Amino acid sequence: MEANSYISLSLAAAARRDLEVTANNIANANTAGFKGERVAFEAYLLPNAGGPDTEFVIDAGSYVDTRQGGLVRTGNPLDIALNGDGWLSYRTPEGQIAYGRDGQLSLSADGILQTQSGAEVLDSGGGTITLPPGITDLKISPEGTISSEAGELGQIGMFDVPAIQSFERLGAGMFAPPPGAPDDTQPAQSTELVQGSIEASNVHPVAEVTRLMEVQKSYERATKLIENEDKLVREALRRIGRMG
Amino acid sequence: MKALSIAATGMLAQQNNVDVISNNIANANTTGFKSARAAFQDLIYENVSREGALTSDQGTIAPTGVDIGLGVQTSGTVRLNTQGGFLSTENKLDVAVDGQGYFVVNTPDGGRAYTRDGAFQLSAEGQLVTMQGYEVDPGIVVPENTKAIEINEQGVVMAYVESDPNPVELGQLSLATFINDGGLRPMGNNLLEGTAASGDATTANPGDPGFGIVRQGYLENSNVNIIQQITDLISAQRAYEMNSKTIETADQMMSTANRVR
Repeated sequence: MEANSYISLSLAAAARRDLEVTANNIANANTAGFKGERVAFEAYLLPNAGGPDTEFVIDAGSYVDTRQGGLVRTGNPLDIALNGDGWLSYRTPEGQIAYGRDGQLSLSADGILQTQSGAEVLDSGGGTITLPPGITDLKISPEGTISSEAGELGQIGMFDVPAIQSFERLGAGMFAPPPGAPDDTQPAQSTELVQGSIEASNVHPVAEVTRLMEVQKSYERATKLIENEDKLVREALRRIGRMG
Repeated sequence: MKALSIAATGMLAQQNNVDVISNNIANANTTGFKSARAAFQDLIYENVSREGALTSDQGTIAPTGVDIGLGVQTSGTVRLNTQGGFLSTENKLDVAVDGQGYFVVNTPDGGRAYTRDGAFQLSAEGQLVTMQGYEVDPGIVVPENTKAIEINEQGVVMAYVESDPNPVELGQLSLATFINDGGLRPMGNNLLEGTAASGDATTANPGDPGFGIVRQGYLENSNVNIIQQITDLISAQRAYEMNSKTIETADQMMSTANRVR
């Protein structure tokens, strides 16, 4: 069986996967704390008896672009942004521990610090942070210490997560460790918390739109190759028919 | 093609964004209005191949998986509860809150509403009411033949009746605070109502610890920053365009696939 069409098909499939990931990046170009995703492609070698090996494209994995997003000033005392490689730690409503960089925080009716989707923000010891009512002057230091005129109220935990690439993306800006993975998170070394700002999405719009064009071109190339292969086979059959 | 629906969620989110921004701009001169911002979050991810999956019999595992995100959603609108500027009106019944707290208003349906808009009026019976005619809580009635009304920083309302040089104390305005005032639901007419998310109201007199003071003759301007809104509008429009570009690309790729023979 001729493998040529299938090689081109693997390219078309890869381009489609790339399009989906790029579409998601663009859709989240205004999502605070969002980290872009990229697909990593690999060659899949199929040994070919008596000839060069055939190479297919496969999407081996996708990885997170962990670069810093820009800081946008909002002036809201409960908006925080991280400057550095650290991550905030959350407990989702389902009780799962996850990490993320979305710092658009609010308080629950009981005064518990949480995200817009209701995940609790954890302190460095993994506990929730409760703020008393009637605070007028809320200050959060670069180290994450929350204080007001009533004194110190708690500390927002910031963590270095070396294995973030192997984490599962949950949505809502959260990354959760795969089940059974060893916990190698540590208190963040060189991350600063900025109060009154949010971290913008780190998606570069121009790069993503260029990516779209690139994806489209490689998809067209793949279908063109399939068409050419088809023409070639038909031409060969026509000639063989004439000889007979 | 998932890309089509992913881009559609992006366009929808930006539409919400523009809605919120245009409401801010429309209310740039509304007394006591607080600027809002649409907050977005990424939708769930489809784990096409799992992180940590075995890649050989020797127990090596895939360091990354393939995660395909399904787009974006609006997770909420965040109200920016900062102090608005003061506007001097010299109207004796205009009051502004300097600091934390909301005026309490009794709605006609018997409920409670909260507002930062202190442009109060008098009803035909001399009752202190809002612009919509809703009674300010606690009820304050200004007697006939009142020459002047003074409201001090603690919200005590005093009336000078006829030629009496000593004022009559009519009552004291109260202020309400909430643990999470971001959770208050806007009802329109500059009114907010308490919800399960905001928590119960804590009511006290102006000037008490943790509460603001009242300034007579001033109104609180909206805290909308117009320049910020216009730049946000530009970025929302561009993001909308980019998502439509994704749809175009997906469409053209499908059309390419259809033309293969």
